[in-house]
Parts: sequence; C-alpha cells; structure tokens
Amino acid sequence: MKPELVKGSRSNILARLVLIIAVVFALRLFYLQIIKHDHYVAQAQQEQVKRERLPATRGEIYAMSGDTPVKLVMNETVYTVFVDPAVIKDADKVIDVMKSVAGGNVRKDFEDMVKKKESRYQVIAYRLTRTQADKIKEKKLTGVGFQAVSQRVYPEGRLASQVLGFVNAEGAGNYGVEGFLNKQLAGKDGRLETVTDVSDVPLTVGGRNIREPAKNGDNLVLSIDRTIQSKIEDVARERAKKLGTDQLSIVVMNPNNGKVMGMANYPDFNPAEYYKVTDGNLFNNAAIAKNYEPGSTIKTFTMATAIDKGVARASDTFYNTDRIQVDDAKIENATKGKTGTITFQTAMNWSLNTGFVTLGQRLGNGSNITKTARDTMYDYFHNRFHLGQASGVELAAEAAGGIVSPDKQEGNEVRYANMTFGQGMDATALQVAAGFCAVVNGGNYYKPTVVNGVVEDGAYKANAEPQPVQKGVISADTSAQLRDMTQKARASAFSHVDKPGYTIGGKTGTSQVPKAGGYSDSETIASYVGFGGAEKPEYVIMVSMYGEGKVLQGAQHALPVFTEISNWMLDYLKIQPKG
Amino acid sequence: MERGGWTRRGRSAPEGVVRVHKPDRLILVMTFVLMLVGLLVIYAIGPQRANLMNSLGYDYSDQYFFVKQAVSFALALIAFFAAYKIPHSFILKHGSKVLWAGFIACIGLAIAAKVGIVEETLGAARWISLGPLGSIQPSEILKFGLLTYLAVFLGVRMKEGAINDLHKTLIPIAVIVGLALFMIVVVQRDLGTGISLTAIAASMLFVGGLDKKYLAILGVTMLVLGLILIFTSPHRVERVMTFLQGDNTSVSDADSYHIEHAKIAIGSGGIFGVGIGDSVQASGYLPEAINDSIFAIIGETFGFVGTMALIALFVTLLMRLLQTMDHLLDPKLRLLVAGVFGWMAAHVILNIAAMIGIFPLTGITLPLLSYGGTSMIFITAALGLAYQLSRYTVHTSQVKEATGNEDSRSRRGVGRTRHASRRGA
Repeated sequence: MKPELVKGSRSNILARLVLIIAVVFALRLFYLQIIKHDHYVAQAQQEQVKRERLPATRGEIYAMSGDTPVKLVMNETVYTVFVDPAVIKDADKVIDVMKSVAGGNVRKDFEDMVKKKESRYQVIAYRLTRTQADKIKEKKLTGVGFQAVSQRVYPEGRLASQVLGFVNAEGAGNYGVEGFLNKQLAGKDGRLETVTDVSDVPLTVGGRNIREPAKNGDNLVLSIDRTIQSKIEDVARERAKKLGTDQLSIVVMNPNNGKVMGMANYPDFNPAEYYKVTDGNLFNNAAIAKNYEPGSTIKTFTMATAIDKGVARASDTFYNTDRIQVDDAKIENATKGKTGTITFQTAMNWSLNTGFVTLGQRLGNGSNITKTARDTMYDYFHNRFHLGQASGVELAAEAAGGIVSPDKQEGNEVRYANMTFGQGMDATALQVAAGFCAVVNGGNYYKPTVVNGVVEDGAYKANAEPQPVQKGVISADTSAQLRDMTQKARASAFSHVDKPGYTIGGKTGTSQVPKAGGYSDSETIASYVGFGGAEKPEYVIMVSMYGEGKVLQGAQHALPVFTEISNWMLDYLKIQPKG
Repeated sequence: MERGGWTRRGRSAPEGVVRVHKPDRLILVMTFVLMLVGLLVIYAIGPQRANLMNSLGYDYSDQYFFVKQAVSFALALIAFFAAYKIPHSFILKHGSKVLWAGFIACIGLAIAAKVGIVEETLGAARWISLGPLGSIQPSEILKFGLLTYLAVFLGVRMKEGAINDLHKTLIPIAVIVGLALFMIVVVQRDLGTGISLTAIAASMLFVGGLDKKYLAILGVTMLVLGLILIFTSPHRVERVMTFLQGDNTSVSDADSYHIEHAKIAIGSGGIFGVGIGDSVQASGYLPEAINDSIFAIIGETFGFVGTMALIALFVTLLMRLLQTMDHLLDPKLRLLVAGVFGWMAAHVILNIAAMIGIFPLTGITLPLLSYGGTSMIFITAALGLAYQLSRYTVHTSQVKEATGNEDSRSRRGVGRTRHASRRGA
C-alpha cells in the first residue's frame, strides 16, 4: 500500500503527515472504542434505556345480586407525574405547563423539585385525570413522565365498607378483603426496559429490551349479597340510632356452606374517603374484630354438647332453685321463679343459668363439672364449634377471642360453670354465628367465608361449593333436637312475630361486660342468634349490640332485629312455607 | 491572450513523452467503496432520521433519505465518469469560467437572500433551490472552479519558475482566494467550506514549491485568521472551549452535547459495533447523524474494526492521489491532483478529528459518505478528474529525470523570483 513517491519531494511530507494523522486517529479510536468502551456503553445505556414498571391492575370486587355478580369496587386510572430534572431542558416551561394544567394536583414544592438538577426522579403531582395527563403529554416536555395509578371507586357508596376495607395511596389494601387478600387483588407488576429514541419512543433495535407483562389481580366475587347487605345495613343504622347503641353488628350466613351473605356494623365509614376518617376504630369490622363474652346464646352449644354426649335430652328434668353453688361461687338465674323440677327445654325457654350449669355437672360426675366435663366442653366449644379462635374468614384484622383450656389453672370449675351460659370466654359475633350454623345444619362446621369466586374475562367463575372443615361435630340427631329446642324457645314467648309456616329458632343473649373487679350490671351486650327456613335452615342471623353504660337485653333489643331481618329474608329468598 | 499562452505551453511538454495508459483502478475502487458505505449507512439510519424529522412536524417516508442519497450516488457516479472522460485540457481550459460562475452564483445568492427571495437557514443562505431537481450549493461550484483555475494559474507560474513571485503569483492568488473565502466564510458563514478552500489552495502552493518563508507566513496568516474567526463568533468560542475540556465534558452541557454524543456513539460501538440498523444514537441523540456525524454512526454501527477499515480506505485513496500526483510531469496536472488531495484530506481529517474529540467542530462533511448531493457530486467529479490524470503518469525514473530538470529550473526560478521580488520591492 505504500505509495511509490519520489524521494525528497514534498508529496513525501504530505504522505507522512497523512500517515501520522491516521495513526493518531487509530490510537484515539482504540482508546474510545476499546479502552473506554464500557464507559460509553454505560453512558449510552443511561441515556437510551428507559425502565418502566408495568403496573398490574388491581382486581375489582363484586358482590352477588342473586346469582349474578355486581360491582362493588372498581378502578379508575389517575396519573402521577414525575420528572427527571437532569434531562429537563426547559424547567420554566415545565413549571408553567404544570401550573396551568394541573395546578390543583401539584405538590407544594414542585418548582424546586423540577430544578433539582442533580436528581433523576421527583414526583411532582398526584391524581391527574387522563384529560389533564394528555394535555401535558401534548406539550412533549423532555424529562416529564407519567405513571398511571389506579384509584378505587365505589359505585355502591358505603355498602359493605368494613367488609371491603380500603386501598391506601401506596396501593396497599388495608382491612377487610382488600387487606386480607391484598396479594391476590394486587397481582404482580410487570417490568419494561426499552431502548428509546430521543423523545422516549421505544425502539426495536438490539436485544436489550426486557418485557415482563404485568399479572393483573383477580377480580373477586364476594358471597355478600348486595340486597341483603343493603337491608341489614339499613336495619343496623336505624336500630342503632333508635336504641342509641354505640355499636350494632349483624351477620347473615348460609348455614349450609358457611358463606357470609351479609355482614353489617354500625357505625361504618365511606371507603372512597377513607383518608378523612379520624377514628381508626371505624375501619374495624366489629363482627370479626371485637371479642365479647357471648352470654346466653352459648347455651345452645352447651345443650348440644350434653345431648351429643348423651347425658341429657330436652325433656329431661332437673330441680331448679334459681341458684346453684359451684365451688366458692354462687350462680343465680336472671329470670327467677321457675323453680322446682323443670325440663331443660324450660331452662332454654327462660334462659335459666342453673339448668346449663347442671348440664355441665352431668357431663362430669353429676354434681361437679369435673376435669372430664371441662375437657368435653373445651373439645366441643373450641375444637368443634371453633369458638375462641380466629375463623380464618378472608377479612383482615380478625380477633381470635379465647377459651381457657381446662389444663390451665384458670380453666377451673367456676370458669367452666360460667362458660355453660357463655360468660368467662371470648368470641366474636362471626364465631358464634359460624358455630351456631354447625349446631343447626346437621352438625357440620363450615369455615365462614366471604368469597364466592372470581370474574375472569368478564365471566363469573364460582369457587367449588365449600365443604365442611369438620363433619359431624355433633350428630345430625343432636342438631335436629337443637333446632327443635331453639324453635320452641323462640316460640314460647315470641311466636306471633314470625311468619307462619316456617321453622324459625334462636336464642337470646344478654352478657355482662367484664369491668375492673368483676362484671358490671349497668352495662350489658344484647345478642341474638337464630336460624330460619322451612324444611331446613336457610339462613343464620347473628345480632349483637353494645352501648356505653347501656343495659341492653337480648330478648327486648336484639331479638326484634333478628325478627325483622328474618321475616324479610323469608321473602327475599322466596322460601316456600311448609305445606 | 495570456491564457492561451499557458495552455500552449502547458500542453507542449509532457504529451510528447507520456504514453497514455490504464488509469489507477484503486482510485475508482476506493471512491466507489466509500460511497457504497455511505449509502449503506444512510439506508440503515434513514428511517430513524425520517422518524425524527417527522416528530418535528415533517412528513418524510422511511425511504426518503435513502432514495435521495441513491439519486445523488447515481449523479455522483455520472460526474465521476464525466470528469474521467472529458479531456482534462478541456476542463482546465474552462476552469476560470467555472470559478466565475461560482462567484456569480454566490453573489447572486447573497443578493437574493438580502431581498428575501431565498430563505436563510441558520442565519445564512447557502442553497439555491432548483425546484423538483432539488437544490445546489454555489460554494461547491466555487470550490471546483478554484481547484481548476488555480491548477492552471499556478502550473504556468511553476513552469515559469515564478511560484514565489509576490506580484505575479502570490498577490493574485491571495486576492482570488481571499475573495472566495470572503464569500464563503463571511457572507455564507460556512467555515467548513472555507477550510476546504484554504486546504485546496494551500496544498497546491505547498506541492508547487512555495518557499518556506511564505509557507510560514501562510501558516501564521491562517492561524491569525482562524483565531479572529473563532473570537468573532460565540458558538465557535464554545466549540473550542468544549474541545479544550477534552473528555471531561458531560451530556447535560448543551455546548458539548454534539461532541459528547459523537463520542458516546463511537465508544459504544466497541470492537465490532452494534450492527447495521441497530444504531440508537442515530435516532435523535446525535445531531446531524446523517451529515457531519456519519463517522460517529459508523463507529457505533461497525465498531473499531469499521472505523479502522474506513480510515484505511481513505488513507489508501489519499495515497493513490499523492502517487498519481507525483508521477505527473505537467505541473498543472500535478497541482490539480494536489488540490484534489488537499480538498479530500482536509475534509476527512477535520471531520474525523472533530468526531473523535481531538479538534473543535467545524461543520465539515465526511466526503463521499455524508448525506447531501452537491458536495458528493463535486468531490467525485474532482476524483474523476484525478482518475483521468492517473492515465498520464510516467515511471518514477522518468519523473526524476524530468523533475530533476524542473527542480533545477525551479531553483533557478526561485532565485530569480526572490531577486525579482526584491527588485520589485
């Protein structure tokens, strides 16, 4: 390649000059392209590769309307605006555009953020509508980005707010199903890394692009029936206001599968404006989150235990003196005067504590609630009816309650004597309702659930019909006897309130509230648990209410709530009366 | 009258001795290969360019730039073969006319711009629109005219041994070149073309045997003029400041944006490059990707291997030009090739040097590769002319013999000129 040049001519100088320059170029290129290659690749990447999160869409939440899912919680897209101050070319223009288009959405100090040249990421505005975002996009501002953020909207307003919970600004579910099933609802964000051109338009060059699509969250269908929920919320609100209670909870369950058809508390909150709630207690779903001593409703459980163990029947008798001595404690009846030899049905009808303490004793040696009797009661209450332990319903912040084991010092005879009528133990309204389902449904315990299935691609996909977690916790015969007894107990005093032709049974509860140093007589929790149906129980309704310094009676205050809902349920579910 | 004398004398000497032979194929091959590389790169990045321009509100099809460059490619080939076929004597005879045509076109353009007939871009009018035929750059005509005119003028002076004669040679040259530079650099504000004009004249004077004293004066004058030009223009000051910062500049600094992105493009190419069509810098990060910055895109696309190969192609072409020049007997022809060499070398060296950050940006194209018809057509015409002249070369021994005489003549001439000039002064 060396040219033949005339020696000593000036063209030789030019040739040498060209060659020297070529060598300088080669060295410089070697430096740039080989030695500093990684440096420049890094610079190129930093500038060319845009990383993006592909946000998963949070699942919507449906309630049932009969057999069809209807939306309770939907999403709307709002936009978070962020900037990369290091690449912003015209900070003042960015500020002007943001002020004119999204003046109400910008953060207070966003002007400083835009000018933070050393920073690569600053969020400057929240919750822009699509229209606002499009207006800003039209300006083609360099260094301004958008992140679509999903926000929850509630077409049914406050309906089932404490079952639903809410989603906070960071997109995390709190309380209710939003909290408990947060992962399932949230899905999994995808990720996008693309090489883009100078205006951030992705290019299809090279193999450097990564795309992991987002996995959207499941659209949940709750077992909550919109109409039932709406009804019981109305009832709860009206009754609570009328009675002046601080809290009123209603749970409606299907005893044949454990599905919660309605769960209402008063007071509740507005999930669309969760951030305005000042009393954090309002987020709590009292029916699952509040322990209480359930009181006389538990007598149905004691009776079931005794019958199932074969130590007593409804028609068996005992001698009632209105008081009974257990160890160092004297237990009295609330209703007095039904003394003498009476049946356990009568004890049930009048809710006589002595009768149930007697059942406890008969589970033992006849005169004492022995360790064997206590073990039996613990087995039935805790292990079979699942009282005093979290039910596992798909709702966040569930309280467990508690039953003191007979193996413990505190699990003594006096405690278990109290437990025969529902004192000295803690449970939630849902636990009582779920246990009562097993008492009346033939003896199968279903885990309470609020989830019916999912909606996939617009089609409802129901979960498999729930199976009992425990079959035969009591025999079907025991269960039949309890249905009969609770029906009679209800009918003995309140037969006229129910629609004729149906099987409606239930048990009142008036529990004393443990205060420092003992039980208070001036403050009681009223409750009622009962079932309704024709040939078989179709629903179980649990009502509980509480008011600071208020004496609330199961029969006087809670029972009418049950009755109102029960009669309405018979119509709503179109249950045919017995022929 | 006088011109006729030059031509007569110019023709007389070599043609009796020189046997016309086959041209130096390498000149053709190198020219063609380099043009092909340019066309390939524009094919690869044309769609990105169109996309970028469209995002600024234009409406170009993906293939627009490629098709336009392909047309220029064809025209350039025609120009090359035309310059190869048309007898050099004819071209040289009419060189002055081309020069005047260039001057007239430039003056016309300046007047048209003043009265507002021609649109100005970047504060200056450099283009004459020919409607559907595209547009033409008068400065290129001027450049080609200067090349041919100076070859004849200096060739005659060389033969007379008057190359260093201040009145007969140097002052007229200074006036002509000065006028041309004034048109290009001051009126059209095109420093790049100004530099290549200077390079053409300077390489001719250098090869023609300009005295070292004058070479030094020429060098100092160019340096001073360069400094004046730099300090009278803020953007040139910025470019120089950027250059002086070396590799320590950053992309966020607007002044160094261009050069920094050229380095990112070249550096990210690595050894083998990112491959054809995978250039990312061409998508808008690197300014002037298809024009002045095409070397950086080649660096990104083909890597170190590619840049080395490209430099090798250019060096080969330049060396063949030097070799052709060295083996021509007629001084006019020698100077003509010297001018082509200077033109080519100035463009290649200054363009690449700027792209790799060892010289300030001057806005000069990479010949045969950069997008743009006029400059490609004129440089290929110049190369075609050199290709024609490569048929007239003689063997080295013959050159020695001839130049030996010539040298002695020049030496005598030099002495005489010096003497004459002293007398003149």
